[in-house]
Amino acid sequence: MSFNTKDVVLKEDRPKTLLLQKHSDYLAGYGLNKDDYEYCMTEHIRMSGIYWSLTAMELMDQTSRMPKSEIIEFITSCQDTESGGISASIGHDPHMLYTLSAVQVLAMYDRMDAVDVDGIVRFVTSLQQPDGSFFGDKWGEVDTRFSFCAVMCLSLLQKLEAINVNKAVDFVLSCMNFDGGFGSKPGSESHAGLIYCCVGTLSICKRMDALHADELAWWLCERQLPSGGLNGRPEKLPDLCYSWWVMSSLSMLNRIHWVDKNSLEEFILACQDAETGGFSDRPGDIPDPFHTLFGLAGLSLLGNSSIKLVNPTYCMPQETIDRLKLEPQVLHV
Amino acid sequence: MHGRVKVRTTEEEKARKEKEKQEKLKVFKHAMQKIWDKRKKEELDLELMELTGKVLTSNPDIYTLWNIRREILNIFRKDMESEGQQLVDLYDAELRLTEYCLKINPKSYCAWHQREWVLTTRSNPDWKTELALCNKYLKFDERNFHTWDYRRFVISQCKPSLKEEFDYTTEKLLDNFSNYSAWHYRSKILVDLHPDLEAGRPIEDEHHKHELKMVESAAFTDPDDTSAWFYQRWLLGAVKTTVDLVVCTISPLKTTVAFNEPVSKDYVQMTTNLLINDVSVNGEWLPCEGKKYNNVWIFKHNEIIGDNFDIKVEYNRENVDKLTILCIQKNSLYIGRNNISFQRKYSEPVIKELKKQLDSCRQLLTMEPDNKWTLLTTTFLLHCINAKHYHNEVIDILKTLQIKDKMHAGYYGDLITKWSIELQLEDDYRNEELELKVKFAEKISSLPHLHYYSFCENVNLFNQNLTSRVLSTLSVLQHCKKLSLENNNLTTLKGFPSLNLEELNLRGNKDLDMKEVEIFKQQNNYNVIF
Repeated sequence: MSFNTKDVVLKEDRPKTLLLQKHSDYLAGYGLNKDDYEYCMTEHIRMSGIYWSLTAMELMDQTSRMPKSEIIEFITSCQDTESGGISASIGHDPHMLYTLSAVQVLAMYDRMDAVDVDGIVRFVTSLQQPDGSFFGDKWGEVDTRFSFCAVMCLSLLQKLEAINVNKAVDFVLSCMNFDGGFGSKPGSESHAGLIYCCVGTLSICKRMDALHADELAWWLCERQLPSGGLNGRPEKLPDLCYSWWVMSSLSMLNRIHWVDKNSLEEFILACQDAETGGFSDRPGDIPDPFHTLFGLAGLSLLGNSSIKLVNPTYCMPQETIDRLKLEPQVLHV
Repeated sequence: MHGRVKVRTTEEEKARKEKEKQEKLKVFKHAMQKIWDKRKKEELDLELMELTGKVLTSNPDIYTLWNIRREILNIFRKDMESEGQQLVDLYDAELRLTEYCLKINPKSYCAWHQREWVLTTRSNPDWKTELALCNKYLKFDERNFHTWDYRRFVISQCKPSLKEEFDYTTEKLLDNFSNYSAWHYRSKILVDLHPDLEAGRPIEDEHHKHELKMVESAAFTDPDDTSAWFYQRWLLGAVKTTVDLVVCTISPLKTTVAFNEPVSKDYVQMTTNLLINDVSVNGEWLPCEGKKYNNVWIFKHNEIIGDNFDIKVEYNRENVDKLTILCIQKNSLYIGRNNISFQRKYSEPVIKELKKQLDSCRQLLTMEPDNKWTLLTTTFLLHCINAKHYHNEVIDILKTLQIKDKMHAGYYGDLITKWSIELQLEDDYRNEELELKVKFAEKISSLPHLHYYSFCENVNLFNQNLTSRVLSTLSVLQHCKKLSLENNNLTTLKGFPSLNLEELNLRGNKDLDMKEVEIFKQQNNYNVIF
């Protein structure tokens, strides 16, 4: 019996060059029709959708194509005056995930004045638990994603000291596994997306020293499949978004050269939709703003010079991170 | 959007689909509007339960709708003194709804969390049913990490014996060795079930051996199935490790101490004591790399260091006898070195098992000489059994792997560097070498363990494969005066740390920008050769 590696085959007629103009058109057109089915069905993640689109536009130097004042007004109206948190959309409840997305967008626009910053700090700090972990909202779901949201959000507001950073780090470290990776809570299996969150948390808190860097980076580079694409866990199919989760983690670990850059670039380019613009999870699937951002950000990490430099910890343009004078840690080698 | 294939359709079909979607959308929007209206009017009642339930069955990730349902359930909970039949029915209905939603989307964070919430909120939750549900779901999809997480939650509540859960992983693995989730879970239970408290090892000998055997049967069934290999790599690394002081260096200008692992200021303060002519020196510990945990710490004190001093460093670890390291004068420096070894230390039965597995690997290689996983495992077994003895063979295989598994050539290159440096370090420490100079043929691509060389005044990294990514690492060279990076692959000097050098050689880095070097020269008062 021979073992079959789960993978895809890149077709000869796949896109091989970067279709920047198409992607910018795709994002500019996304959501213009407010009655579009897909658009309406994703209202509950709208704030993150705006972050994905805006960051992608920033990386393509096409920010002006986004409706800036409309977006800022929307964010202001999504802040809950009582808790201080921000919701995915009007009428929805405040949550850590969308509070972060909103703060990232405002950081890129340099418009933090549009929200009650103290309220956000109050919301985030109120969700830290005695063990250092964070709830996503008052309903008590714990996840390392929320730890990352909390430290990223507060660091963008220059208020990291408002939480117990040592405890936040301890909790994340309690999620470390036999393979050096991390899952969503203590005991959870390693997953590239959550590894990004945990490594990112340690990068912002400057505790990268606590990682088992060689073991973790080896596990990460073994996510690369013969097609060049990366999966998020062993024996899974490749998916474009892991180009970001894996490569950003490897960048913070200062070991990006452990993957084959050329074949990964080919895979990412193959995930472009040459008709509509945008990137999808795998070649031939339907594109969306989420994968469009992570396709572009992945290419930026690989050194594509027609895209602006992206910061591997924040998934935002490096120039924004420089303007805010933030210095997330990259491991020494 | 994940895994949705773009399908080509006729215009007619497209129009029909669009019409269908618009109808669905109308219903959806109407329902949502009604929900928002009722919530605004604070009509948190059974009708709202039904409305939110209907929308969630087709879109279980609208998190606010689950919040509304919890608000309603909480109201019913408060209104009733004891958990009456109506509330019990509501909880049961909620569990049925989550189960329905999970059938549509087994990865819905919201639906899983709602189920957890119901079971921790209601009295008398039925954990047995929940465990049975986990078993059922893990039969459909043995890798769904949500189900595994939920299983761990259920287990944390109903607390069966660890052994039962361990046996469950065995059962899952015998069913399919490629079940990485089961290997993962097994690793967690193993260290709780069979720790070796006496010897301070993570896993008790007999069980360590047993697990290695299990990996062997899994991995050798099909070497290309990677899951078991990761578990094996962990087992090989499961040895006792301790923090240790490596080297202390005292010059008239600076005193430093290096540890094998990054340590905190509290740790250095508590464990390390500098004695000059038998008098304990007061001072302050400063981080060399500016972080909370550092490999190298600088000791700031006011003592004047002269010739022929008696300098010692006392290192006091918990539960270990005090170690006194004598610092010997070499020119203007006093250097105190500890004994170092990078060899992993296993118990006799485990070593025996490793040797047996090495034989199996060698046999496999005669049949399939190109198999990446067998080659890689062979190198690790050799390295773990006796790194020094097998060094040349290990390096040869890694070079073969660089060709056969081109995708990971960078990883193999760094591994060659690391293991070669480790071997050289042991020699350099034994021979009381004063300089760092690469003494093996393979070019180094990174600077692992550089803090072990923090005492060197002369660091010669001539003709290697170093790129600019390593520059920040040089910060541990606190006593270095002459540093050569001649003939490397530097592309920028960004990240070069502040060092008290006398000379820096950058010649032969052909991608370095002349202008950047000029600016760098102006910023630093040492001699920069370019």
